[in-house]
Amino acid sequence: MAVHTLTVKQIISRVRQVFPNAQENYIMNLVNEAIVELGKYNTKIEYAKASTVADQMWYTLSDDNAGVEINKVFRVDFMDDDGDYIMIPRLLNAQVLKMDIT
Amino acid sequence: MASDVSHPENVMAWFIRGNHLAIVTTEGSSSTSTHSKLGDWKAVDSATTDGLLIHYQAEPNSVSAITNTPDVDNTLHSSLVDYVKFRLYQDKAGNSADVNISAISMNLAKTHENKWTESIKRFGSKKRDKVGGDRRIMPPDLR
Repeated sequence: MAVHTLTVKQIISRVRQVFPNAQENYIMNLVNEAIVELGKYNTKIEYAKASTVADQMWYTLSDDNAGVEINKVFRVDFMDDDGDYIMIPRLLNAQVLKMDIT
Repeated sequence: MASDVSHPENVMAWFIRGNHLAIVTTEGSSSTSTHSKLGDWKAVDSATTDGLLIHYQAEPNSVSAITNTPDVDNTLHSSLVDYVKFRLYQDKAGNSADVNISAISMNLAKTHENKWTESIKRFGSKKRDKVGGDRRIMPPDLR
């Protein structure tokens, strides 16, 4: 059985019941605004792989080239010598002595 | 290509600073040179292709055509209508020269804003949560 969803067209037709002259593009902009707001609460879980670079400490999260838009990171795995991804802990006290800024 | 770390859970860690993810390790040499020795946090000294697997909460995709379906749970789709009406009533209240129309529009904007806020904040977790089953307390076995 198909799940009921609303397309943008259906949202526009509902809005036009009370605002018949509302512009399509404007409604679409408002929908996108609402989606950004929902992104703060939504639990869309995704995974991404990244390659590590020798002697590089920092990796940019919202990398346009990688095509990922990250809100919150909740787990990181590192590949071990068998090729399996193993969860590594989050360092709570991030006061590391040697800070690499590259 | 696998990495050269046999137990990453013991020697590696991550943390976030702003928009950056840091990957650090305590692995090192027996050298006494400044902070390259075993035990100090430092960058990983080897490159591994696809060495990191990052789990994250993602930003929903935006809509760009009227045939698109919003990239959020379908239980939240009807709330989008409330958000759009809330904004349009606000616009109407601001544009109208008639005080009565303006006041009524503001009231309706408030009504739809409340429905929107209630939907995403008050009942949001119930709508998004995929955990099912009854909640109950299991008493300890005292035998």
